[in-house]
Amino acid sequence: MNPVDLLGKIIEISHSNLELASRITSILNIISQDMRSEEAIIYTFDKDKRLSCRYANQRSALFNILNKYRCHIGEGIVGSVAQKRSPLFYTMRDIPPRFGCLFYPELDGKLENYKVFAFLPLADDSYLYGVLVLCAVNRDVIHDADKIFLSILSREVGGILRSYDLILSSKKRISELATLSELGKVLTSNIDPQELLKNIALIIAKSLNAAFVTIKLGYAFLKLDAQRFTYGIIDPSVQDHVAELEETSARLLRAVSMRDCAPDEYEDAFKLSLFSAPIVSKNRVLGTLTICGDKMEQTYALGEDGQYLINTIANYISSGLENTLLNTRLRDAVRELSDAQKRLIEQEKFRSLGEMTANIAHEIKNPLVIIGGFAKRLARQIDLDRTENKYISIILNEVTRLESILNEVLNYVKETPLVAEMCSINDCLDEVLYLLTSDSSWEEINIAKTYDPRLPPISCDSQQLKQVLINILMNSHEAMHGRGTITIQTKQTTYENRPFIAISIADTGGGIDPANIDNVFNPFFTTKERGTGLGLAISNKIIMNHKGHIDVENIAGKGVTFIIYLPAKNHITKEEFL
Amino acid sequence: MKNPRILVVDDEENIRLLFKEELEEEGFEIGLASNGFEALDKLKTERFDLVVLDIKMPGMDGIQTLNEIKNIKKDQPVILCSAYGEFKQDFSSWVSDGYVVKSADTRELKQTIKNVLGL
Repeated sequence: MNPVDLLGKIIEISHSNLELASRITSILNIISQDMRSEEAIIYTFDKDKRLSCRYANQRSALFNILNKYRCHIGEGIVGSVAQKRSPLFYTMRDIPPRFGCLFYPELDGKLENYKVFAFLPLADDSYLYGVLVLCAVNRDVIHDADKIFLSILSREVGGILRSYDLILSSKKRISELATLSELGKVLTSNIDPQELLKNIALIIAKSLNAAFVTIKLGYAFLKLDAQRFTYGIIDPSVQDHVAELEETSARLLRAVSMRDCAPDEYEDAFKLSLFSAPIVSKNRVLGTLTICGDKMEQTYALGEDGQYLINTIANYISSGLENTLLNTRLRDAVRELSDAQKRLIEQEKFRSLGEMTANIAHEIKNPLVIIGGFAKRLARQIDLDRTENKYISIILNEVTRLESILNEVLNYVKETPLVAEMCSINDCLDEVLYLLTSDSSWEEINIAKTYDPRLPPISCDSQQLKQVLINILMNSHEAMHGRGTITIQTKQTTYENRPFIAISIADTGGGIDPANIDNVFNPFFTTKERGTGLGLAISNKIIMNHKGHIDVENIAGKGVTFIIYLPAKNHITKEEFL
Repeated sequence: MKNPRILVVDDEENIRLLFKEELEEEGFEIGLASNGFEALDKLKTERFDLVVLDIKMPGMDGIQTLNEIKNIKKDQPVILCSAYGEFKQDFSSWVSDGYVVKSADTRELKQTIKNVLGL
């Protein structure tokens, strides 16, 4: 066949629909036949960039010897052709033993059969795809024309390998994109987090052809029952590895495979198909995503460079979870708000009902008192016979009954249960201080705080307690005319051998006139121009309801210290609390 | 000894009548006022040993009246007397010397009056 026909034939094969291996083998057969070369062998790169003997013509005798060893770039003749990207030609006389590579002991005694050898790089201008090796028994020389022809040929084969590579990687990209787009759809849909995580695991497993996908949540957030969501079955043989990878990826904050855990130990393809990546949001590890390939499935999409893809997926999940978290919080907040609104409306209804009832009760009560009162007078003053006496006592009994009904109604109506909850006094103080000091009139007041950081939370009505704190702080503010120092201290103490906590609030407002000190808690007592005289009375009542008490330490001319004592172990029931 | 004088303040005429008759029987001398202003006027000109004060009244209610009374006569004994007991919880009522829930049965009122007057 002339070179043009030969090249045409090869191009025809290379563009055919055959599998890559068949195409290459056919081409190698043609080359072997036409170039009168008994051996036509192609080395390509494998995953770890080592040259391995992958294709050969049908009759090749050396293929089974050469494919026993993979060589590095630069190693032996094949390696150095790959490194320099230029062809090398040898004859029987100058061919280095074992192809310059000492790992081919079986070549000894075989190379003498061949007269010429050609080694050609399969490369275009930018990429190298492998090396073509030809060994001929019946040729003495390779002519320049053949050399040129061979270099054109190797370019063509390089081209085939290259387009196959491109197709593979674009297929992979497409499947990655499809995975991510599927994930995107799920993540933006507003389903509940539990379903979301299950669906994510399923989509990843299906689209990557994985044996199993497991998502482990490290945080007890989203208020989920389960903390692990798995699609597929975690193979018992890798269970420990899964745990190890999850731990490692969360610790290193990056995607890892078994190579990261023990770089040289694992050659097991199944174990090497395990990848784990942290799901990170705002520098916080929410959990981990772990994917494992199928033992049988050849199309598992996480290759050696799987870290990149799994990381991308993990990022997707984290933003999805973040969204769901926000959604959940938003939904909770909206629900709480609407609950609060409902309660408010109910309360308002109840309050106006209560007011109405109270008014009616009052209106009824007075006539009742009058009827009953005068009926009693009648009974006492007039001498009545038995029947009339009986009538009067019936009237009185019925009046008493009505009165007790009215009392019960009123008792029910006025009931306003207070909310006792465990709360931190330090936090209450801070909230009140924040509220007050945001006003400009507090600018010249220096607040000195010495809180006990280990103050135990206590059971109290925080709203009422805050009212007490505000009353006392406002008094201090007024006493100091907006300028001075308020020293606030919290500590644990005991009162009558029971644990109490003490909140002391000291001002530098000149103190209270000793003549008035005994009256400060009396209602209507005030030294202020516009005071009602009820602030401290209310405060005292509130603290007393909490089974606590307020002490006043007064240094006339300097300042006054109010000390609120509250029982540290308070078991206030609702009834006691009213 | 002179009979103790009691001022009954209530906007209901028949309540005033009932209390007057019931308390006169107990030997008290009774003055009447139909609202807070009238009561304050009376207290400025006359001396009463005790004021029995209704809470729910038009114009100035009993709590305000109580406040005013304590302002002009700090030691004037006052008993609050209301149709219902919820003002007992009202700290403003604490300055009163007694609190009685109105009832057809006047025994509690009479007993409280005697306690306050030290009889």
